[in-house]
Amino acid sequence: MAEFKAEVFQNEYLADGGTDVHAVVSVTCSGAGAAGSSGDAAEIIIVDISTSMGVDKMNAARQGAMVAVDQINDGVWFGIIAGNERAVNIYPGRAAMVRMDPSTRAAAKQAIAGLRTSGGTAIGTWLHLASATFDQVPSATQRHAILLTDGQNQSETPEAFAAAIAAAEGRFQCDCRGVGADWQVAELRSIATALLGTVDLIARPEDLAADFEALMRDAMSRGVASAALRLWTPQGSNILFVRQVAPTLEELTGRRTEINPLTGDYPTGSWGDESRDYHVAVRVAPKPIGSEQLAARVSLVVGADVMSAGLVKAIWSDDATLTTRINAAVAHFTGQAELADAIQEGLAAKAAGDDATATTKLGRAVQLAAETGDEDATAKLRKVVDIDDPDTGTVRLKRQVDKLDEMALDTASTKTTRVKR
Amino acid sequence: MSDLDPSAVTAPATPGDPAAVASEVRCPSCGEVVVPGDQFCEGCGASLVGGADHGAPAAEGDARTAQVQPAARPADGAAAPASSAAARPCPACGGAIADDGYCEVCGAPAVSERDHFSEQPAPWVAAVCDKGIRHHRNEDAVALSADPAPGSFAALVVCDGVSSSVDSDLASLSAARAARDVLSGPRPDGGVAGRLTAWSARITDAAAAANEQAVGVNAVESASASTPTAEVEILSPPSCTFVAAVVDGPVIVVGSVGDSRAYWLGDAGAAVALTQDDSWAADQIGRGVPRSVAEADSKAHAITRWLGADSPDATPTIVSWQPDGPGWLLVCSDGLWNYCSEAADLAALLHSFAPHGADPVELAGSLVAWANEQGGQDNITVALARVDGPAPATGDATGAATAIPTGAAPGTQP
Repeated sequence: MAEFKAEVFQNEYLADGGTDVHAVVSVTCSGAGAAGSSGDAAEIIIVDISTSMGVDKMNAARQGAMVAVDQINDGVWFGIIAGNERAVNIYPGRAAMVRMDPSTRAAAKQAIAGLRTSGGTAIGTWLHLASATFDQVPSATQRHAILLTDGQNQSETPEAFAAAIAAAEGRFQCDCRGVGADWQVAELRSIATALLGTVDLIARPEDLAADFEALMRDAMSRGVASAALRLWTPQGSNILFVRQVAPTLEELTGRRTEINPLTGDYPTGSWGDESRDYHVAVRVAPKPIGSEQLAARVSLVVGADVMSAGLVKAIWSDDATLTTRINAAVAHFTGQAELADAIQEGLAAKAAGDDATATTKLGRAVQLAAETGDEDATAKLRKVVDIDDPDTGTVRLKRQVDKLDEMALDTASTKTTRVKR
Repeated sequence: MSDLDPSAVTAPATPGDPAAVASEVRCPSCGEVVVPGDQFCEGCGASLVGGADHGAPAAEGDARTAQVQPAARPADGAAAPASSAAARPCPACGGAIADDGYCEVCGAPAVSERDHFSEQPAPWVAAVCDKGIRHHRNEDAVALSADPAPGSFAALVVCDGVSSSVDSDLASLSAARAARDVLSGPRPDGGVAGRLTAWSARITDAAAAANEQAVGVNAVESASASTPTAEVEILSPPSCTFVAAVVDGPVIVVGSVGDSRAYWLGDAGAAVALTQDDSWAADQIGRGVPRSVAEADSKAHAITRWLGADSPDATPTIVSWQPDGPGWLLVCSDGLWNYCSEAADLAALLHSFAPHGADPVELAGSLVAWANEQGGQDNITVALARVDGPAPATGDATGAATAIPTGAAPGTQP
């Protein structure tokens, strides 16, 4: 039986007239069990077969897909989709799924072995087919896909792509991988964000199989099909934002489903045994010194069950030693969010030829990475800028930058480090 | 559902017996024997007044783990008896209070019994304890016991939790009660001099028992392993002041550590501060610095002695007093005397509220309300015992406060 625990980190003391309450809520799930523990699970592997894949990448993709199939537990529903400017269900054929067992496993691998490259790329069509395929198994409450591409979404309009993503939202979760340097980070990120998944770069085709194996193994360890973060705030207050801040940054503010006028749910997708942090900010009306007020109740909800709860408080005080402290977790993740923005804005400016803005933004990123102890981000930034002084954020853009290094920095920008405990 | 009859809680102990121990009153929540007159169960903190609030706010501090049923902090006055459906509606908006102790609509905390409570173990002895206006928690505590016959026996203990230390509200309440229990034991007999010595020793024991409680309060709750290390500071262990005053027939004996005070306010004439503060300002004045200069300094109120784990010295300073006329024994925390420090001024203030034969509960309540009107900067405790006149003279009645040597150099106290 899965258990959730919620811990709240905050400085609850506000100065006279203070209104904004920030808290980091750390949620830990344990005893989640394997996929399919709480109802049927379903997996789809989506492989790009466009011509640009070429021999090496296609070999790697076939191998990766087979390795992923091997990770899927017996009894889990599954299907394989091949995609170019349209999508085709290559196993079991038609828009259908079958349960994994030794014979379907072997048959699927045979179908994968027969994949050949052809055509362009219209990822939206792949998402549409995946949704339709999942719909064939209404009993599958846990729905997950792995999507692999190597190139840009050239065979459909941006509007069609966006519409396909919107149509798929809430219907399945999707982890996206881009192999090589020719795909658009922003395109895959928009899918991963909407479909509550991760996005990552596979620099070399030979690394693909290992990555897919890890991805599918992780999916199989998620025994909680779907959980939501429930937020109650008092009458008269505003929710400033709700975002996941660890292990990756995800903006959740706009994804609220109202439960009642004071309470809303934010989707968090499936859970294995893991821990995630959320940053919640609420604005309340100020009360007199000495008063106390609950600014938020944060709870984890699975189906109809409230699994855990945390309280976010506000206490007004005239003691400056209390009110001027910033909670370490809140400060850390505020810095990490700013770091991600600085990296993404800097790279976008560089791509648009605005070197001045790029230098400023990436310099700020270097400064923040140093402050928050994010060594991984610093190492990736070093591949794109020469660092003169990390404390002041003085940097120079490198003349020659490997595109893969830039993309690695971009995809990793939403991965956060945790506060050391 | 509380099956405790509220009238049983406030009934005085059987005449002639020391208060408490023989009573059959039990806490409806945990079953521990409780002292009649207590508002909270010492074992679990549940309110002993009918119609208890429920919901304990989760532990304070920077990191809290809240399961769906947060654990109650003892003596917070709000460990919900499971069937207590008669929760009071939210004082701010009238909405329902949730199990976690906050309103479901506006988030205001349920009013804790600890925020304002009174005790009256006998008609002539009472105390009122109040959160004040500026503090969000009441860290003052008071514990009383008394025999019903006016002027026969009473023990008044006030402890003021030091705000900068963690869980000092738990420390002050358990300390005050432990001290009161020691003072409520068998009374010494013999002549006045013998009884003064015996009470001096007993009050010292009471302070030691109180100190043991303060030291024992678990201060680790808020500095849990889940606090990010960048956040860990050295949190002060819980601490509180201590003043205990005993009325035993013609004599009053007082022991104190810190800056909570006892005064004798006679109906006609003598108005005396019985205690001396253990504070920076008092130290300075003792060295000759003018009072106005010493009391104006920002360090004036820093206390130099207290009860608690890091206390330099928890031995109370003992004084005795034998009134030569009727009057009031007043024991209070600095929430009151900060607004009215001189004994003569305090006597005038008290007399302005006290018609002849005043009820000490009402009088204490008036003084507390007055302190709140002045700003309520701190928690306020006022304990009063009405002493109507000296017993027939038995030898060395002096009418003056005399220090009983406690092993310290004689003559160090006025």
